[in-house]
Amino acid sequence: MVRRLSEMPEVEANHLRKIECPRYDDTPALSGKPLIERRVVIISTAGLHRRGDRAFRPGDGSYRVIPAETPASELVMSHISVNFDRTGFQQDANLVFPIDRLRELVADGTVGSMATVHYSFMGAFPPAAAEPHAEHLAGLLKADKVDAALLVPV
Amino acid sequence: MGALGHFLERQGIPTIGISLVREHTEVVRPPRALWVTFELGRPLGRPDDPPFQRRVMKTALEALARTDSPLIVDYPEHVDEEADLTGMSCPIQLGTPEISSLVAEIDQLATWYDRAIAAQGRTTVGVSGLTMEEAGKLISNALAGELPPAQTLKEAIDDLKAYYLEASSVFPGAGPAKARKDWLWGETKFGAAMLALQPKLAASDDAQHKILGNLTLIPATERFRLGKPHATA
Repeated sequence: MVRRLSEMPEVEANHLRKIECPRYDDTPALSGKPLIERRVVIISTAGLHRRGDRAFRPGDGSYRVIPAETPASELVMSHISVNFDRTGFQQDANLVFPIDRLRELVADGTVGSMATVHYSFMGAFPPAAAEPHAEHLAGLLKADKVDAALLVPV
Repeated sequence: MGALGHFLERQGIPTIGISLVREHTEVVRPPRALWVTFELGRPLGRPDDPPFQRRVMKTALEALARTDSPLIVDYPEHVDEEADLTGMSCPIQLGTPEISSLVAEIDQLATWYDRAIAAQGRTTVGVSGLTMEEAGKLISNALAGELPPAQTLKEAIDDLKAYYLEASSVFPGAGPAKARKDWLWGETKFGAAMLALQPKLAASDDAQHKILGNLTLIPATERFRLGKPHATA
């Protein structure tokens, strides 16, 4: 099942075609250590946060922190979009926020270690609103000795 | 999502992003992406399938070794649509005239919702901080003309949607997610309430109400129901 826009149901494809994508000068990919020596963070854009944290709002470019030990039962989603499936997340939080999978890859020696804190943005942000938050976040990641970010959309 | 790849990599953090829409990633050109053909909302592919999810993760993380950017790796595994072999039968005949109100419907679902929590060990309800009865009253009042702030309404709606979909996941013969969403939008008081609320929000003078009504209330796939006769909310 190859899901190019041309092969999707028309109404879904049209919605996705209307989303304006930002354009940037190419960013060179950085070289780094082998995976077995890397420290990995998960950064979701699913609008996830702990129950009781501030919900995301339209135009919100900020992020929420999700400590690695946060139980799945504490995670809720306040993404503003209604155009993606949420039943998968309801069934299994790792489908969207694969923290247990990362833990397993660390345990079996594939990945060096995992960050102490993980993050979620809300993907419908205007990129200019998220940029300063992302730049600030990069400094925090370095302080946590993170040298690889897995960006997980929704 | 692709934008974050640029922002972080420029600041010295190597990134690999999962891509759900290849056409978007081809425009944004983040440093590295793994394109998957999974449904929106399911970036790791299959719920409750750790080996599958681990393979996706591993493929993504292994691409970190590459520096030939902008890079898009095509993930080789796909997920077939869930087959609907059962057909969904709602055991309590929601959305029929015997149920007098949205709040009554919410109350009737409580026992199923409790079963769903017991089965899953968790719930994703809890953005608004309201009880489901309070959330239902908020929506009934909005329909009667008392529109609360858009954010308050949106959080209540998100919680109720999660409540309905989680409750229906343990109905006998619940069927695939698509059948449950058809039920939510086509057969419940809640779905009817959303469809009735849409024109009120779109016609409001408040800009946030308009955004909610026009963009973030009714999924693109359900908009065909607008303006058609439906069960009263």
